[in-house]
Amino acid sequence: MERRRWRSRTAVTLSVAVGLTLGLGGCAADSGGPADITFHMSKPEAIPYFRELTKKFNAEQSDVRVTLDTASNLSAGFLRGNPPDVGLLNYNEEMARFMERGALSDLSDLPVAERIRPDVQELVDQYATYPGRTSVLPYSVAAASVIYNVELFEENGVDVPTTWDELIAACDTFEAAGITPIYSTFKEPWSVGQGLFDYTVGGSIDVAGFYDELDELGTEVGPDSDVSFEKTLKEPVERMVELAGYSNDNAASRSYGDGNVAMAKGEAAMYMQGPWALGEIAKTDPDLELGTFPLPVTDDPDDLKVRVNLDLALWVPEASTEKEAAKTFVSYLMEQDTLDEYNAEFLGFGTTVDAAPATDERILGMQEYYDDGRFYQGASKFVPLSIPTDNYIQSIATGADVDATLRRLDADWARLALRG
Amino acid sequence: MTTTASPAASTGRTAASADRAPTTTAPPTSGRSARRRQSVDRIYYLFLVPSLVLFTLAITVPALLGIFYSFTNFIGFGDWEFIGITNYIAVFSDPAILSSYLFTFGFAIVTVLLVNVVAFLLAVGLTAQIKAKTALRAVFVIPMVISGIVIAYVFNFLFSNSLPAFATAVGIGPLQESILANPDLAWISIVIVTAWQSIPGTLLIYIAGLLSIPGEVYEAAAIDGAKPFRQLWSVTLPLVAGYVVINVILGFKNYLNAYEVIVGLTNGGPGTSTRSIAMTIFTGFTGGDYAYQMANATIFFVIAIVISLIQLRITRGKAALA
Repeated sequence: MERRRWRSRTAVTLSVAVGLTLGLGGCAADSGGPADITFHMSKPEAIPYFRELTKKFNAEQSDVRVTLDTASNLSAGFLRGNPPDVGLLNYNEEMARFMERGALSDLSDLPVAERIRPDVQELVDQYATYPGRTSVLPYSVAAASVIYNVELFEENGVDVPTTWDELIAACDTFEAAGITPIYSTFKEPWSVGQGLFDYTVGGSIDVAGFYDELDELGTEVGPDSDVSFEKTLKEPVERMVELAGYSNDNAASRSYGDGNVAMAKGEAAMYMQGPWALGEIAKTDPDLELGTFPLPVTDDPDDLKVRVNLDLALWVPEASTEKEAAKTFVSYLMEQDTLDEYNAEFLGFGTTVDAAPATDERILGMQEYYDDGRFYQGASKFVPLSIPTDNYIQSIATGADVDATLRRLDADWARLALRG
Repeated sequence: MTTTASPAASTGRTAASADRAPTTTAPPTSGRSARRRQSVDRIYYLFLVPSLVLFTLAITVPALLGIFYSFTNFIGFGDWEFIGITNYIAVFSDPAILSSYLFTFGFAIVTVLLVNVVAFLLAVGLTAQIKAKTALRAVFVIPMVISGIVIAYVFNFLFSNSLPAFATAVGIGPLQESILANPDLAWISIVIVTAWQSIPGTLLIYIAGLLSIPGEVYEAAAIDGAKPFRQLWSVTLPLVAGYVVINVILGFKNYLNAYEVIVGLTNGGPGTSTRSIAMTIFTGFTGGDYAYQMANATIFFVIAIVISLIQLRITRGKAALA
């Protein structure tokens, strides 16, 4: 609308030549030639990979020309009605807001959509859904669990724990041997949220189900509701506090970077971080032997689960003017070899039924859980960003009252529901 | 606002209100324009046009839009509807927002006091007849030219690593843990860094003020038998009163908007203990809480205007004294 008005005014006030140029420009776009599309991908470490891939795609065919965009502000793009034609990025609560309001188009007619594992596709719907559409295609899953120093475990005769009691026993063994059991970086709230908190909560309750009930309760969430942060999460969070006690003494002033270096130097046995930390640790010590195991929070080994997130997911905005071209490129990106190659390089897990298994020793410990669908999305990620969840969790980990802080989360949740 | 433009007030105007003159005197000119039309060249109005247009487009329009959206449930894009004053009611019952106001005002008051006391004493020292005066002044001004976020990250490292290491070596118990990690003490680190960064600017204004005092008044005071401290109290301070007011007003206004130093030091933590109002408002953009935080911003805007008006009034009183 805005543009059209501007154009007509220009035609009147400016010379005919300008009007002609605009007209010709319009014709050129309609009559054949390659369709130009923008591809948004801003995961920093993966940019070179997708730059190569885009180049290859552009060279192989002449119908679609893809431009890689690694920097634009997505919200602003959607707001102006000018989003990228294809997006490939982390899928989270924030992205779900676009989907929920119908900003992403339906991709269910693509053959690749059939190949996605239903339990992985289900992860998308846990945040929000749009009726009758497959708006988002999971591209790569990052599975996170406890990273452990294999040598320290072997030296101290500790096996990978599968129950809460074994975990506590392992911590005590390390402590007695003068080794820090868990390296924590409480200075950065997100690291507490995605680590200790998500692992203890995800290991004890059905995270997605819990938030479904909270959503339904809305403004009713509080001291009197059957389901609430205070009631439902009390036990897991108290276990989290117990584990936090096994951390390095200076945890409160350590950052994520400090933690990676400390783990690389073998200063602690366990580290609550995702696969992204493995690459960072390797920068300091590429030969360190590390493994992963799901954090046991109950006494039943069958409860073991790993934390996952949709590290990369594909979508095509409804506002795209080149949807067909965009889908062609999406199909190219979703070719099985491309997917497998990406996951092998970036320690991801495949999202399709015929995905190749992980090969990296460090994440092999999570493969069986992932294959069996024993996973959850982090509890800290379900809360809208306007509630400072990670900060609350950080203060619990560093000594704040569990009940009072969880009550505050309940109150925030109800307040948000009131004005939402 | 309009009273500022009255002739009576303008005679006793200090530098602070003179600073505001271009905006405050603009509206009444229409009343006087008939008398003055011939003597004022049109070109002066043309000079105003670019800044007027930019100000309207970049400040006034977005501000009005923000106020408009504060009565809706707009989340930044997509559909929205009017929800009346629901956002405002929610703001007043939100402990996170109330605590951010408490923190920000407490922080601003403490910082204003600290900055002005230190800067004034430094200025007195640096305008006295001491050696290497110019070189020292240059040294003290250095923090002013470094970006706030850089300073904050440097101090973040100092507070997290160097200070605890030093305290452990020397044996100062309470400082052996990073003060950034202590919810009760983290605000002190923000005061220190903000003061370190803003003392130079305040110092420069004080130096200018002290240099503007003629030497004769000190001679007269000395002849009357006033000792240096008495001179400072009874001669220097009253004569730089206007400068004190400028520094307090500008400083207070800046500290209420505290953002980058906090982001670099504590990012609002530990927990939510050092979240400033500006940081809370900004979560509206990242957290899809746009309309709600616009309501918060509108309230903050009104408070800021009230404070400005009170300060302007005090300024005029002070100026009459001087």
